[in-house]
Amino acid sequence: MSNAISRRDAEDFLIAEAELLDDWKMPEWAKLFTRDAVYEVTSPASATPLEDNPDTSLFLIADRIDRIEGRANRLMKPGTHAEFPRSKTRHLVTNIRVRAGENGEALVRANFAVYRTKEDTTTVYMGEYHYSLVRETDAVKIRRKRCILDINSLHDQGRLTIIL
Amino acid sequence: MTFQDPAGLHLVDADPRRKLFRVHRDAYRNADIYAREKELIFGRCWLYLGHQSELRKNGDFVARRVGGRDLIFVRGRDGRISALYNNCTHRGARVCRERKGTARNFSCPYHGWTFDTAGRLLSTNTDHGYPENFNEGGRLNLRPVERLENYRGFYFVNFNPRAISLYDYLDEARTAFDNLCDQTETEMIILPGEHSYTIRANYKLLAENSYDGYHLTSVHGTYFDFLRDRAAGNEAATKQLESTIQDYFTSGRTRSLGKGHAILDSMVPTGRPVAQWVPIWGPDVKKEIDAKRAYLEAKVGKDKADYIADYQKNLVVFPNLVINDILAATVRVIEPEAPDFMRVTAWAIGPQEESAALRQLRLDNFISFLGPAGFGSPDDIEMLELCQTGNAHSPIEWSEISKGFTGEGDVLHAWGRPDDENHIQAYWTQWDRVMQGLDTLEA
Repeated sequence: MSNAISRRDAEDFLIAEAELLDDWKMPEWAKLFTRDAVYEVTSPASATPLEDNPDTSLFLIADRIDRIEGRANRLMKPGTHAEFPRSKTRHLVTNIRVRAGENGEALVRANFAVYRTKEDTTTVYMGEYHYSLVRETDAVKIRRKRCILDINSLHDQGRLTIIL
Repeated sequence: MTFQDPAGLHLVDADPRRKLFRVHRDAYRNADIYAREKELIFGRCWLYLGHQSELRKNGDFVARRVGGRDLIFVRGRDGRISALYNNCTHRGARVCRERKGTARNFSCPYHGWTFDTAGRLLSTNTDHGYPENFNEGGRLNLRPVERLENYRGFYFVNFNPRAISLYDYLDEARTAFDNLCDQTETEMIILPGEHSYTIRANYKLLAENSYDGYHLTSVHGTYFDFLRDRAAGNEAATKQLESTIQDYFTSGRTRSLGKGHAILDSMVPTGRPVAQWVPIWGPDVKKEIDAKRAYLEAKVGKDKADYIADYQKNLVVFPNLVINDILAATVRVIEPEAPDFMRVTAWAIGPQEESAALRQLRLDNFISFLGPAGFGSPDDIEMLELCQTGNAHSPIEWSEISKGFTGEGDVLHAWGRPDDENHIQAYWTQWDRVMQGLDTLEA
């Protein structure tokens, strides 16, 4: 299975993704997703964030590809007031673990800390990524990215207008 | 003084002759006025606590801060719903440290005093040192909040024992609750999950923003861009989108409902699970929505069904509850924590019997626009923070809220166009009346 996604492949991919986000290359980031992908951030109040389903409970974010692209495009516009002037962000990705799923899919867990500075205020979003990565032609793509925040509310962060 | 001239009690300036309505910016930024609001506004108005669907089983509780007071909203072992101060009568520790759950009783972690789910003191965890009848008259039970009443399953508290009833307090806003609750064949329920976040601005700025139609195109242009991109290639969807946006300022109205409450009725082309179909949702969903609409018509008649189904309704119940039944329905409560800082908690609410397809659309619609990560609310939040920081660092004293002000008739019941500010004038008029003691809200 030379085509399987190794821990090294996953790590390279996640670091490249973080670079796109910190460089504010949002449309390029959106191209990392398959057409059937989802990008999700569960409700911080949830006791069962791994099992939660956005069809039955309220998430912070549950984007299919139209809204993944919409979110990326929106962040490029000055009319996106919540991110004007743009934040500075820094994505730290660590503790990457990979196990094989079905049909060559890789199930990846990783820890994250994302720093956001808007004007003079810096906040941090910390938690765990749960990815499903697949190979599409030659490239690794994201089929699922679920972010589980280690917070109980956005009391300190206020809002979530960057991409985790 | 100094940097900003204090206005004293003269904070709301309505000039009927010149058709001007202004609010002094100290109302948003001054610590003394904020302290008076905590006493008069939050000490005398009915404040939203929670919904009956959050307490399903006996013993279910949620712990919530309301008007600066930590409360337990609980269904007792006997099934009775009560609101108790979350504060041990011994030395004052919070007796409930979880945000929600199911309790057999509440046990203080400090010295072990234990109370049942109705608040009765069961044990002091000692057999020595206290006199007979130590808890005479229940004086050491967990204290119940002075008043707890509900309207159609929405529970409110009032810290003033002499307050008028919730029914009277809600005034004409009761019809808005009725229109929301009549959408269901069973009952409305709070859905799982919650948005809890903060805004660095005065709580009244969010109340104003929650039913402000004037800002729709200037603040939310990127949201409409997203809707346009999504509709691209679908001629019917594009046509509906553009014509609805075109007619926005003339197709709805603001209505003030008495006692500072008001609603914005407007048309926005997002679709509504109950019950307005949009082409982007496809034909299968149309069948379901048509059926829902037929149900509504049979239940309440065509005119009322049309109103319930077609209009987006942004309701503000004075002073700090928002119920927006728009592209999805949200219950949003605003808890002030400082003159320039608020905590917001919002839930999705929907019919208990809703199909999986409509429930999915409801939740998907909700987070497409609403919440701290949606394509709409965060841009609103940015505006509120801009106002707060702008007002904090400026000598300019007055905010203009004159749009649509006629200077005639009863401000508390005035109507206007969706982009007028008559409803915000009603809010401030009531705020001023309560702050000046002209309306004590007492029976």
